[in-house]
Amino acid sequence: MTTNIETNRNTGNGRAWIMLLLAGAFEIGYALSVAGSKAFTVPGWSISAGLFFLLTLYALSVALRTIDVGIGYAVWAGIGSVGAAVLGSVLLHQALTPVQAAWLAVIIAGVVWLKLADRAGARTDGRRLPG
Amino acid sequence: MSWLHLGVAVIFEIAVAISAGNARGFTRPGWTAATLVSGAIGTFFLSLALLTFDVGVGYAIWTSVAGVGVVILGALFFGQRLGWQKLLGIALVIGGVVGLRLSGAA
Repeated sequence: MTTNIETNRNTGNGRAWIMLLLAGAFEIGYALSVAGSKAFTVPGWSISAGLFFLLTLYALSVALRTIDVGIGYAVWAGIGSVGAAVLGSVLLHQALTPVQAAWLAVIIAGVVWLKLADRAGARTDGRRLPG
Repeated sequence: MSWLHLGVAVIFEIAVAISAGNARGFTRPGWTAATLVSGAIGTFFLSLALLTFDVGVGYAIWTSVAGVGVVILGALFFGQRLGWQKLLGIALVIGGVVGLRLSGAA
């Protein structure tokens, strides 16, 4: 099932994941700036939105050089959603409900799982494990 | 019209991911332009869709359909056939985003 993984992906993969997490963080900055710009009528927030837009897509593009696009997209969107929910709750002074907190935990567990699965996938190349 | 807007937004969201993957850290000008233009168009149509959709439901559909679409296109065009561990992780994250958005989070 994992026959198409490129070889020599062990090196630099950690750096790609840091770029992917950064892309998620920039995505949060983008969402906040868009909200603050009030449909791009506030100049300062609009410029901030434009900068975060470039930064998040650049970081995503760098990360996707080595991370599978399906994984990269899910993690990018997942971190953006977690950040929006947490910051939204702080800014609006609304505590997260237990159900919302549980879904946050599911997303974070999924991201950690993907990071581990990505590393394991790279490792199996050299050993030619079945599967 | 809102379903049409949401559908177009999903298509461009998938295009963002595929283009960003091909842009290789913005070193390829054509794919870089495609990434940025797709991102701008996708955001525009999503905001149109969210005028009529409930925001939580709109985001949930948008992210989940795009997430599945990216996995399928990644397999078709990049040969990135993912093992069950990676598919399970993607399902966890996308499922979590859907649950979070439907539970009324910001």
